[in-house]
Amino acid sequence: MTNSASAELDLAGNNENSDSTRMPGQGAMWALVMIEAMTFSAYFVVYTIYYRMNTEAFLAAQSELSLGFGALNTIILLTSSLSIALCVQRSREGHYGAAIRNCMLTAAGGLVFSILKLYEWSIEIGKGMYFSTNEFFSYYYFFTGMHLLHVLVGFIALGVVYYQLKSPARRSQQIIEAGATYWHLVDFLWVIIFALMYVMR
Amino acid sequence: MVISPQSRLYLSWVVLTAITLIAWWVGGQHGEAQIRPSAAVGLSAMAITLVKVRVIIREFMEVRHAPRKLKLVTDGWLIVFILAMIVAYFLVG
Repeated sequence: MTNSASAELDLAGNNENSDSTRMPGQGAMWALVMIEAMTFSAYFVVYTIYYRMNTEAFLAAQSELSLGFGALNTIILLTSSLSIALCVQRSREGHYGAAIRNCMLTAAGGLVFSILKLYEWSIEIGKGMYFSTNEFFSYYYFFTGMHLLHVLVGFIALGVVYYQLKSPARRSQQIIEAGATYWHLVDFLWVIIFALMYVMR
Repeated sequence: MVISPQSRLYLSWVVLTAITLIAWWVGGQHGEAQIRPSAAVGLSAMAITLVKVRVIIREFMEVRHAPRKLKLVTDGWLIVFILAMIVAYFLVG
């Protein structure tokens, strides 16, 4: 009900001025997002402590990574996040064709990200950098591997969004928003990993 | 000035991408033979994370329009996380 009310506001073009509040997506999805965020945060803080205890060795290993590659992957995920946010708005306005295109664009971004990630791993493995080569690379494969797992779950979320948009009978703006919320989690976790493993020193 | 929700999303993307390019520059070696530890780069990385994650949550995830409770939980988590990172960075080593 609140969803159709906000759709009307959007069509009237005055949503920006309204001070009405509403829950984006579903509470259960937000609970999952916050649990994930807190769990990853704990690992990131532990990583920083070990990093500072042995900075020279971590930095020597870190310099094996390509900063440009990390930045490119970040921009790809940010773009896919923009696309799923646009998908949510198009769907709210009733422009389901455009919403489906945005959803597919998001999946394409996720696919390019995943392929580039596998390629990056293959480069590091080619240089002899394995999971157990040193502490930095243990964390690197752990974080990027856990993250890629979340990208794969993200594809399922996008599949649900697509399925919802395709069939007029079961379209639920709430479920579409919840799927988008999960994809943005995947995006901001990568933003943190990029800052932590590629930029920080 | 009233901007449409779509323009707001595009604008957020421009900001996020610009900050990513700044991070790329900040993290670069700038002609040094070897990357050295740097508190300035460390702090910049955390500031960049704080801004980017908050823009994603507020704009892309629409927490800007969300009930107060969700705003408090997301901001609370982000502040505690970044503070913990700063403490870990400066207290250890």
